[in-house]
Amino acid sequence: MRLSSLTDGIFKNNAIFKQMLGMCPTLAVTTSASNGVAMGLATTAVLMGSNFAVSLFSGFIPKNARIPCYIVIIACFVTVVDLYMNAYFHALHKALGLFIPLIVVNCIVLGRAEAFASRSPVADSVLDGLGTGIGFTIALTALAVCRELVGAGTVFGYAVAPSFYVPVILAVLPPGAFVFLGFMMAFTRFMSSKIKGGGH
Amino acid sequence: MNKQLKIILAVTAVSAICGLILGAAYNQTREAIAEAERADFLAGLSEVLPPYDNDPDKDAREIKGTTVYEAKIKGKPSGYAAVFSSGKGYGGHIYVLVGMDAEGKVSGVAVLKHKETPGLGDKISGKDFLGVFKGLSEPGLIAVKKDGGIIDQFSGATMSPRAVADAVSRALEFMRDNFISEEKR
Repeated sequence: MRLSSLTDGIFKNNAIFKQMLGMCPTLAVTTSASNGVAMGLATTAVLMGSNFAVSLFSGFIPKNARIPCYIVIIACFVTVVDLYMNAYFHALHKALGLFIPLIVVNCIVLGRAEAFASRSPVADSVLDGLGTGIGFTIALTALAVCRELVGAGTVFGYAVAPSFYVPVILAVLPPGAFVFLGFMMAFTRFMSSKIKGGGH
Repeated sequence: MNKQLKIILAVTAVSAICGLILGAAYNQTREAIAEAERADFLAGLSEVLPPYDNDPDKDAREIKGTTVYEAKIKGKPSGYAAVFSSGKGYGGHIYVLVGMDAEGKVSGVAVLKHKETPGLGDKISGKDFLGVFKGLSEPGLIAVKKDGGIIDQFSGATMSPRAVADAVSRALEFMRDNFISEEKR
């Protein structure tokens, strides 16, 4: 078990900022901070579950049939998360309901199953799922906080902008998602090049 | 042949295990989900109906294909509520829960489901907008000003309020026709 299994997914291989995976939920649900956090946590739960199961059964699943097996496993965990969220976080489920089933086709989840969990020990795979999920959650939350702040003048539903501030609605509309993601991408690239001491 | 068998076996086993897990999860959450949905709907009902002491979602009846929820105080009807939808909105159907008191006036309106533009059309679910309907009793006047009614549209979004007004107007007309006697109208 290596600690890097956990940390790689958060910084070095951040699914959003470094790998550019899972753009659909990233762009679609980040209209408010609570949506971003919830989507990130739901995906984290699915990632840990599917990585665990894929790693556990990797010796048993024949190479030719691995993708159908992975998809069934992932779909199973997504549905479980969907059911529990509907039961115990009903209001959140109403806001995100449309996007939860789409975690099945989130390429981050299948990507980690295929590229990591299928060839790593169980403990590392769960850590990798957790790390990737945390990285995804951080990215989604950061994007969602910025969009909500500019687009509605609130953060997590609390008004933080002064009363004379006129919200820029564009930020919470679909084009705003692309604009803000672009700026955040540029910022993280700039920061990581600074840390590395310039250049890639 | 042996290889194919192995593939079949693997996919079958994985699907069977997942099926079992799903069944267990469904069974465990079924009641909580039904309860949460009922609580949601009851909260909506208590918002739009005049005070009541019964369970309006249980005192529901079907009238011409529409379910009407009846509010009662000590067995006497105090109001009615029904869900109406309108397709005149900007993003598909808008579902509106409309309450009416025993005099045939709108006692409250709640938007149950909509896909209007955030920041523009979605103001229809705000209290400021929905409060305007309270006390109205003339279905013909419930329309946006652009359409000759008395409801304010928002700048930049006429379609969303128009759809809500449309649903409220039809709901009120329907409930008045069925529950308010001629002389009271």
